[in-house]
Amino acid sequence: MSETVIETEGLRKEFRTRKGRHIVAVQDLDLAVPAGGVHGFLGPNGSGKTTTIRMLLGLARASKGEMRLFGKPVPRHLPEVMNRIGAVVEQPKFVPTFSGRKNLSLLARSIGVPSAGVDAALDRVGLTGRDRERYKGYSLGMKQRLAIAATLLKDPDLLILDEPTNGLDPAGIRDIRDMIRHLGESGVTVLLSSHILAEVQQVCDSVSIIGNGRLLAAGKVDDLVGAHGAATMRVGVADPAAAADHLQANGYVVTRENGHLLVDGPGRADQITRILAAKELYVHELTPVRADLESVFLQLTKDATISAGAE
Amino acid sequence: MRLLLVELNRFRSRRAIALMLLAAMLLAALFAFTTIWDTRPVSAADVARAEAQVERDKSSRWFKQELARCESNPEEYNGDGATAADCAESMTPRPEWYLERRQLVLDEVRHGSGIGLVVLLAGIMVIIGTTFAGADWASGSMSNQLLFEPRRAKVWLAKAAAVFVGAAVASAVILTVFWAALFVTAEVRGISTGATVQEAIRAEAFRGVLLAGFGALGAYALTMLLRHTVGTVAVLFAYAIAGTAVIAALPISGVGRWSVGNNVTAWLQDGYEFYDGTIACSPGAGGCEQMVKMTLEQGATYLGVTLAVVAVASLLLFRRRDIP
Repeated sequence: MSETVIETEGLRKEFRTRKGRHIVAVQDLDLAVPAGGVHGFLGPNGSGKTTTIRMLLGLARASKGEMRLFGKPVPRHLPEVMNRIGAVVEQPKFVPTFSGRKNLSLLARSIGVPSAGVDAALDRVGLTGRDRERYKGYSLGMKQRLAIAATLLKDPDLLILDEPTNGLDPAGIRDIRDMIRHLGESGVTVLLSSHILAEVQQVCDSVSIIGNGRLLAAGKVDDLVGAHGAATMRVGVADPAAAADHLQANGYVVTRENGHLLVDGPGRADQITRILAAKELYVHELTPVRADLESVFLQLTKDATISAGAE
Repeated sequence: MRLLLVELNRFRSRRAIALMLLAAMLLAALFAFTTIWDTRPVSAADVARAEAQVERDKSSRWFKQELARCESNPEEYNGDGATAADCAESMTPRPEWYLERRQLVLDEVRHGSGIGLVVLLAGIMVIIGTTFAGADWASGSMSNQLLFEPRRAKVWLAKAAAVFVGAAVASAVILTVFWAALFVTAEVRGISTGATVQEAIRAEAFRGVLLAGFGALGAYALTMLLRHTVGTVAVLFAYAIAGTAVIAALPISGVGRWSVGNNVTAWLQDGYEFYDGTIACSPGAGGCEQMVKMTLEQGATYLGVTLAVVAVASLLLFRRRDIP
């Protein structure tokens, strides 16, 4: 059984706004991220992703619940595990009047990393040559790279990245994606919070999807997509109208699309062919419609919004 | 220790802090230069200039008219029994009239520009303490730092130590150079300074260094509490100026003891006597003593307790509150 790197049980965060409004940002969240690989952490804006990350990293206090990193309860034992964790939370945050190198050097010295470590981190994110410029003159992409360089100073076992490709150009996005994939393959556990679902699907081995502060689904990307998408079949037949009538009569939900039928229902492909063949309607195309992560995400988060509204 | 060195590095690398330290140095240089210039000995050139001025005065129409008027009625000018000769004696300009210049007396400087410099230095160090902490909150880099060292108390203490050490060392260097310049000048001019005065200057400068260091520390602690540079400056201003004015307006007897200025002066000058008009006097009580004498210890207690309250509140809340 593989080690669980991040665990939360019944995690809850509530706070009051300045106007006195009571807000529950995270409620009863049970999260488990196994060691190794890239784990996506998805949810719409305001769903509690960043708050969860901030609680895990000791930047915010949980109102209730338990959290463990590498099996150690946090925030009590955070100092013992923090040197194994690199993190970028929300936007990069550095001293604007210092150079990129100076910002990184101060962080490196605070954990005893020599200047060679700073050089290596800068080189890895492609900031060598621009490192002596002031941080406030950096583009958003350069700031993002510097933040990632800071996480690499520790040579981490766990990397928590909150929207790491924000502001990067396509080449930069590809570089960061490759780096994340490479880190995941090399045994580092990466928790990737992102809105770019296609990116998550390309890079992540597993995902957790949250909405309204609750866990909606978790598991391997293929399993989640398969579970939510396997039931729809695209059917090509000479007489779509007659075929639709017969399928509907057998309990299927049928929609027409460009001369084809999209068939949702409990049965498998062989049942559809049998029903239509019995009426001498012969199928010339039968393809399972694979859902992508985006459609799964939208379906889950829409359901969560509806149920939250009903509560 | 490693974190303290990092914070000291951060302290000396901040451009705003460097500029304020430069301003403090220039201010001290200006104070020293003004003092040295104003007390410079009379030179031959000064005497020549004065004699030339005397000659110009003597040949002026105004002087001649006044002298003639005096000589025509000397008693009106110089009192009963005065003669015309007394007019020439009293009205004829002399070079020493233009050569009057005070001597460099270090004990006088200690009570004058010495105290002024310390108060200004402390004010600059307070701003430095505020901006040191305020920049971390304004840039959001505090959260980044805590991702590398999550023990918040340790981070708070390392930053506090860096602010105190930085401000105290800078103040010590500036005050040392200031007083050294004046001591050397006095020495060159052959003015001897007694051991008691030297000791008093050393003690006052030391208390000034502590005031600057702890002032910066207090401002840092308050900024860590309020998480805002401008907010902290506003609170400090309200406390030091508006707060004192409001308290003075209240119908409470003897509030002068609670004024920041009086306590700071008592600390710096090893005691301070001042008039407190808010002390209530009962009619017929045989006079009323409205002069208050505050001791160094009283000033130190007031300032120390204020600093301790702010520092403890700042540290406790920094450990508990969420970091933006």
